[in-house]
Amino acid sequence: MRQLLRIAFDLLLEAARRKWFLALFGGITLVLVVLGFSLQLDVVDGAIAGSKLFGSIFLKDIVSTHRVLGALYMGTAYVSFYGGACFLAVACSDFAPELLAPGRIEHLLSLPVARWQLLFGTFLGVVTLAALGTLYGAAGLTVLLGVKTGVWDGQLLVGSAVGWVGFCALYAVMLTSNFFARSAALSGALGITTLILGIIASFRESISVAMNPGLGRTLFSWVMLPIPRLGTLAILSADLAASEPVDGDMLARLLAGCFIFSAALLSVAAWRFENKDF
Amino acid sequence: MTEALCVRQLVKTYKPLFGEGQQALRGLTLSIPAGAAFGLIGPNGAGKTTFIKVLLGVVRPTSGEVTVLGGDPQDTAVRARIGYLPERMHLPTALKGRDFLRSVSTLKSLELSDAELGQVLERVGLRDSTQRIGTFSKGMRQRLGLAAAMLGQPELLILDEPTDGIDPVGRVEVRALLREEKARGATILLNSHLLAETERVCDRIGVLERGQLRLEGTLDEVRRAASRWSVRFEGLADDAALQAAGFVARDGAWSFEGDVAMLNEALDAARALGLQLVALVPETRDLEAVLAQTLGASS
Repeated sequence: MRQLLRIAFDLLLEAARRKWFLALFGGITLVLVVLGFSLQLDVVDGAIAGSKLFGSIFLKDIVSTHRVLGALYMGTAYVSFYGGACFLAVACSDFAPELLAPGRIEHLLSLPVARWQLLFGTFLGVVTLAALGTLYGAAGLTVLLGVKTGVWDGQLLVGSAVGWVGFCALYAVMLTSNFFARSAALSGALGITTLILGIIASFRESISVAMNPGLGRTLFSWVMLPIPRLGTLAILSADLAASEPVDGDMLARLLAGCFIFSAALLSVAAWRFENKDF
Repeated sequence: MTEALCVRQLVKTYKPLFGEGQQALRGLTLSIPAGAAFGLIGPNGAGKTTFIKVLLGVVRPTSGEVTVLGGDPQDTAVRARIGYLPERMHLPTALKGRDFLRSVSTLKSLELSDAELGQVLERVGLRDSTQRIGTFSKGMRQRLGLAAAMLGQPELLILDEPTDGIDPVGRVEVRALLREEKARGATILLNSHLLAETERVCDRIGVLERGQLRLEGTLDEVRRAASRWSVRFEGLADDAALQAAGFVARDGAWSFEGDVAMLNEALDAARALGLQLVALVPETRDLEAVLAQTLGASS
């Protein structure tokens, strides 16, 4: 277990010194600081009466604080999900190829570390990185708006956590692909492709109905069946962040689907890794 | 004498998805006694790196037996007792030298303090460990790899081109380090293209070619096998007859190339010509000559 955690920790240490991640955390900090200084919210009796951004009024009507925050959190959850997924696909695509690079993998495998520990340590490192980024942004915005409005609502954190499960499924695809073909470009492309397929899979029933009955429709249904419904997950994540009502059963099914999808892919990766010569 | 490693009838065939497999090791049998410094030499594609990877459990053999430090290299407890420096080590460039060593020490389940890590770095000549590995020269990276291999005083050190990229002064230091490791009792398996280097460090040599061991023994045995002798006779020599017996005139003396049995036959022929043997000196050859002759004979 100690070895697995060390692999994950090393990945975080490496990420902390990469420009991509410095830019991500710097960017989030910059947005929070700019909002902190430039956003003025006047809350009277639970309603926002006058709001200014950079000194200009941007919300003229008197609106309930919960409504404003809900809309804001919903938008943030969408940005966090889709932006985070794209960022993950681009910035995290070379962690596994680096780990499997000739000259490094032989050294790692010569150490008293099991192959599954290397695999799960890398996965754990990246999903922890995604969790830290998500948590930092969501918690920062929650605290900022909480201080400005006096309304403390942790729903953005809950919504972001649900979105993070989708990142895990995406990274499972990216990581597994490297045990068949070590390539950062392929890994990133597969991450983006899975995201797009995940959005299509969210509407598979309605798309399927629009197709002519026959082999094409059956094939489409079968291909889409194992793909996690990432589009629906993004909607539920945003709904949760905005404190909108959410179908609990559907959420549970989606989360379980993502978990099973990730576990299945990681099992394939573990099998491939165990039987591969380097 | 206990063996540090032993392989019997080792075969490794790389099987591509399509097409014929490529046999990298063809029934290799070899044992290296504990405490020896073994130099593995051979041309490119001889199977040296595959052999090393099999010993580390990185590559699984197709058939044959592999025992390293009395166990199976797939066993993490066995690998914990091995230090390995790969050829062209790829290091995480974003980490600092000390961070990398700390990581390796944790993965080896060693509890090393900062001071102890500093000592290891100092031992390989890396004083400034605050720099990121990305800024290291090739030689510094090699030294760091060597430090990682030596962490925890492993019983077996497997080094693939350890002085690659290191300057001549550094090479002397690395040789001294390897001698210290040997004196400590560690077994060293050295794979290097620098034969003079191998000769200076190793006391046993193995010549590998096309996945098979062509020659193996102590450094002296290997140098002497199929070696050259300098011979002096007394009496009137019939040059043509001596040359027919296998002797070659060289620098005012005679020289003979071949094994001991062949030498005795040639000497008998010389005595039959009425010559008397007054001096017989084995000529010491370097590993380059041994390798060239062994590979030449096998081809």
